[in-house]
Amino acid sequence: MLKIRAIKLEVNTTSGLFGAEYEFSNGLNIIRGDNTTGKSSLFQSILYGLGFEELLGGKNEKTMQTALKDQVEFPDGKFHLVNQSFVYLEIENKEIVTIKRGITSDSRKPQLVDVFPGALLTGNDKTLPSRPMFVHDKGGASDDIYGFHLFLSEFLDWSLPEVITTKGEMSHLYLQQIAPAFIIEQKSGWSDFFATLPYYPIRNTESRVVEFILDLDVFENQKRKQQLSSNKQQINTKWNLLFLQFNKLAEKCGGTLRGLEQNASIINSVGGIYIAMLKNEKEITLTDFNEQQKEELAELEKQQTTTVGSNINKNEEALKKLTDKLNQLSLNYEMLSPELNYDNEKLKQYTKQLEAVSEDLRKNKGALKVKSLGHELPAETADDSCPTCHQPIKDSLLPSEIKQTPMRIEDNVSFLEAQQKMIEVYIEGQEKVIREKEKKLLTYQTQLSETRQEIRDTKKELVQDERLPSVLEIEKRLNLKKKVEFFSKQIEDFTQLIEELKALSKELENLLTKEKNLPTDFFTLTDRKKLASLYDDFIALLKKFNYQSKPFDAIKISNENYLPVAEKSLDNGMKLAYNLKFDSSASDFIRCLWSYYTALFKTSVAFKTNHPMLLIFDEPKQQDMAIGNFKSFLSELSQFKEQQVLVFASFENSDDSFKEATQGLKFSLNRIEEKLIKPISI
Amino acid sequence: MEELLIKKLSFTKKPIPLPAEYRPMYKIALIVMILKYSCRAETSNLLKLHLLSWALASQKNMTELRDYVTSNFKSDFSVWGIEPALNRALQLAVAENICDIVNGKNYKLTEKGNKFFEMIKADIELFDIEKSFLTLIGKNTITDSRITSMTQKWNLFYVEN
Repeated sequence: MLKIRAIKLEVNTTSGLFGAEYEFSNGLNIIRGDNTTGKSSLFQSILYGLGFEELLGGKNEKTMQTALKDQVEFPDGKFHLVNQSFVYLEIENKEIVTIKRGITSDSRKPQLVDVFPGALLTGNDKTLPSRPMFVHDKGGASDDIYGFHLFLSEFLDWSLPEVITTKGEMSHLYLQQIAPAFIIEQKSGWSDFFATLPYYPIRNTESRVVEFILDLDVFENQKRKQQLSSNKQQINTKWNLLFLQFNKLAEKCGGTLRGLEQNASIINSVGGIYIAMLKNEKEITLTDFNEQQKEELAELEKQQTTTVGSNINKNEEALKKLTDKLNQLSLNYEMLSPELNYDNEKLKQYTKQLEAVSEDLRKNKGALKVKSLGHELPAETADDSCPTCHQPIKDSLLPSEIKQTPMRIEDNVSFLEAQQKMIEVYIEGQEKVIREKEKKLLTYQTQLSETRQEIRDTKKELVQDERLPSVLEIEKRLNLKKKVEFFSKQIEDFTQLIEELKALSKELENLLTKEKNLPTDFFTLTDRKKLASLYDDFIALLKKFNYQSKPFDAIKISNENYLPVAEKSLDNGMKLAYNLKFDSSASDFIRCLWSYYTALFKTSVAFKTNHPMLLIFDEPKQQDMAIGNFKSFLSELSQFKEQQVLVFASFENSDDSFKEATQGLKFSLNRIEEKLIKPISI
Repeated sequence: MEELLIKKLSFTKKPIPLPAEYRPMYKIALIVMILKYSCRAETSNLLKLHLLSWALASQKNMTELRDYVTSNFKSDFSVWGIEPALNRALQLAVAENICDIVNGKNYKLTEKGNKFFEMIKADIELFDIEKSFLTLIGKNTITDSRITSMTQKWNLFYVEN
């Protein structure tokens, strides 16, 4: 377990040494201080000492209050500038260590932490050796300095589980990510489950954290599943690469790739995949194309080389044919070229439209969100009712004379999504058309220049000495030979690619089989017991804290992220689960958070899991919660005698409220009088 | 030709799609964000609200206003749109007690408005573009006197034309 034994703050100011020191015991500790006395500073200092200040929304000293880094106010209205300040934190698991971390110091970076092997604050020995470590990043510290969080996880006997990052690589879960399960911060901690979870590129962090805290076996199975899905992604990437190579090859040959899909799929026969070549306006495969060329070449080679003279008639006829061909080709080219321009212009328009629709969609989704936020606020406008006269109004800012009914935002969003999809389909089609036409245009171009060359050669031969051998024929033969060689080489490459494709398809097949064989239900019997206990504890606590927003049988703990959800049966028998936040009143949601973190704690205690056996709440009495409910909460927390619970609260700055909320409970009290940071006389 | 026997004809009006700009809560959310991110003391006059609401309407407007601000108010900036929809949203916001009218002409964010802002802020993805744009504009950039001088230029602009 992690036990906070004591904390000490040292602030050197221009008017001398200031500071504070507090000790904590096992069981429930109440830290009572009126508003603005510095209660939260004390809470934040604990986080800072543990290197968990990311829960406050940042790193290093900037997350701390001014009293600890800029100026101390004591007494009210009198300010003293801070020269240097330190946090000391004495913690215990099997051993006791003391952590020292600077907030403001000219000589030390805030990333640097000193760890003393013993009780520096409560013990008698003040001359312990210390060991430097760093938090977050090295901050310029040398390499032989140890990572503080690595030390802390060893100190806690935690072997941090490996999880998969969004990039598909393996990484350890970070301590700062586990902390929101047992430390609840005041400013945003009460807005949602795990609200202060710092962002790291790790998938489904909340689930991983709960699985770790409850020590669920499901972790291993999940990991395997994630591994498979990341393998799948790799296969898809390879497939895409291969697809590109195929297309490149087809382009090089002046043909079109047929029969291969862009997305990875199992291929049973590769016969359907080929490169289609255009010959006499008809499509044939690359292999057939080359065979025909080979035949032509063989035919030519059989013939004797003829002289220019014997070819005159043939050449004249050929020249006429070639000229016709040239005209036809030019015509085709001329017709296709403006068509392509037009298509490109159209594509540009579609793209613009897509941008506009996407932007509108983004705004509409935002509008939908604020509407539900407005419902929680509550604002009557969000419920389509006039805030002044409470009559129903339309969800629109158009003048009321316009008698149109606007779509509901939900419909508007699906309408726009449908539009977006439609335009995307248009664009895809348009791009395909353009690609085809560009290819055709290119073919025309090559054919044009080939034909022109042939015409020139024929003309040249017609004016040559009649006894010379026909250059035209020799050239034709040579050209054809070169082409046959080129295409044979391409066919070889193609066959090789096909082999790679076969291997990849096999790999995919294996993977899919493995995926099918994964158990659909990852939970072991112990897992189920733990989750059942979590659920029972949660519901029992909700009842105890007087939760009323939803019937209890509609509340479940999700098997995916282990958070409480409200279940709703739809007309078609399907069940819909959504965050409990949306159907609970603000104060009831606070009851949910109390119950959830406490239930997690309770189950962990019962099953002796990885939970640090420490709970810290900063001002849990939110949303004008009734004092009676708050008392039930504190009384529940005071049951954890072997563990440690720290509650920072102001009790509405009133002695009466304090008495009422804590009467008859067993707890240790730390009272912050006047101000947390006070002058210290040595 | 066969005769059509129609006894009764009825028409149902289909709901029409509406740009998000015309949704009351959307506009109120924009007002809240403008007041919080880009106005000193969370208070603004009507014209400034119109200016920023106009800017948020499109990427083009945002770029235009940003260039104007980053060029230290030297570049050309002509006019911005005044839309009745914003006035209607302001009426609703005042009725919802999300903002107050102070000194009879300025709008100020209330405690409830601040609460609404915190809810909007908590969702990182929500209005990310708008948030970063308004943060960039900041609280002290477009002052009341700046708005006045901008509108004065307006008058000149029309006189010259």
